Amino acid sequence: MATTDTFQCSVITPERAVLECESTFVAFPAHDGEMGVLTKRAPLLCKLGIGQLRVESPTEKHLLFIDGGFVQVVGNRMTILTEQALPAADIDPEAASQALVEARAMKGTDVESVDARNRAIQRAKVQIKLSRAK
Amino acid sequence: MANARIIVKRRKTVRNIRKITRTMQLIATARFQAAFNRAVATKPYTERLAELVADLTGVADGAEHPLMKTESTATRSALVGLTSHRGLCGGYNASLLRTAVAHLKDQEESGTDCDVYMSGKKGIGYLRFLGREMRQEITHIGDAPKFSDVDPIANELMDRFVRGEISAAHVVYMRFVSAGKQVPTVIQLLPLTREKSDDASNGKQGNVQYEFSPNPKELLEELLPATVRVRLFQCFTDAAASEQIARMVAMKAATEAAGDMITALTRKYNRARQTQITLELLDIVGGANALE
Repeated sequence: MATTDTFQCSVITPERAVLECESTFVAFPAHDGEMGVLTKRAPLLCKLGIGQLRVESPTEKHLLFIDGGFVQVVGNRMTILTEQALPAADIDPEAASQALVEARAMKGTDVESVDARNRAIQRAKVQIKLSRAK
Repeated sequence: MANARIIVKRRKTVRNIRKITRTMQLIATARFQAAFNRAVATKPYTERLAELVADLTGVADGAEHPLMKTESTATRSALVGLTSHRGLCGGYNASLLRTAVAHLKDQEESGTDCDVYMSGKKGIGYLRFLGREMRQEITHIGDAPKFSDVDPIANELMDRFVRGEISAAHVVYMRFVSAGKQVPTVIQLLPLTREKSDDASNGKQGNVQYEFSPNPKELLEELLPATVRVRLFQCFTDAAASEQIARMVAMKAATEAAGDMITALTRKYNRARQTQITLELLDIVGGANALE
């Protein structure tokens, strides 16, 4: 694949830069559904949701779990700022299943706690799915 | 030989202490490198976030976010203190606590009660000694602060601020300026100040036409809490690096002082031994003279 078809993609958490690579296609979970980005996209600023992030570079594919954050695309450069980014290979399926059980046991008594419960369940579900996908 | 033997014993003790302090110095050096790398690793995130905030404030102007609200009727404020868990790091904790107590006094004089969130066993111990109540004692954050550990503290502060319980939140920590200089600093975490973003908005990317999702105002509402969280996290990583370098410097000084002491003791020992020999000789000579 020609080098002109790639764009720089970096995934950054407060703790470190998780991923920095040239990529051809990136699919990320936006706050309202999945979104894909190819090279030379118009500038974008978008809120992220919980889900899987797929980064495809000419040589390899990366699969990560991300939990909220922001994405910025400008000048053929994509930056994903998230508070948690976990490579799929690092997810412990047992811990994720455990988290799902715990999330389901959470009580939803008002709008906020229902929200928190739904988020926790989604987080656990995505992690389980990702840990199987590797 | 009594006197000389005591000196030998002391010299042995000092030698042992020197071995320990030298080892601690080496450990602190290694830990500092790791802590420093972690502190640097948060920079890209912070910078990018500031850039985004700058890009957005230009578009969503006039939006007054609750986290930026400066006038408040609350007579309470909050202070997060970051001290170390372990001692033997020179004046690190002492200077931090001096700054913290001065800040608390200032707050009291202006008529605000201050809720203290203290991290680190040393600070907790000191405030207990002063007989001051703490709102929260944080002991689970160690040399390598995790974002997930710092997150709840920032969230609680923001919650209380938005509810109007506290009028401001400050952090006192050891700011890492360079390997040779660390300054105890009080920064204002809440209300958020805007100056930083104003500087950046004059920069190169000020007028990119973005496609926003959701609208800029909502995005900004999400971005600002993230800024607060990462700022607090950065304080923690900075403090960790400062602590290790303070320990390194203190242990280096201790090792050198022990070396000096060994030299002095050796000299003293030689002199004591010499005196003893002279005395014994005098005894013998005196005895022989008496016989004649």
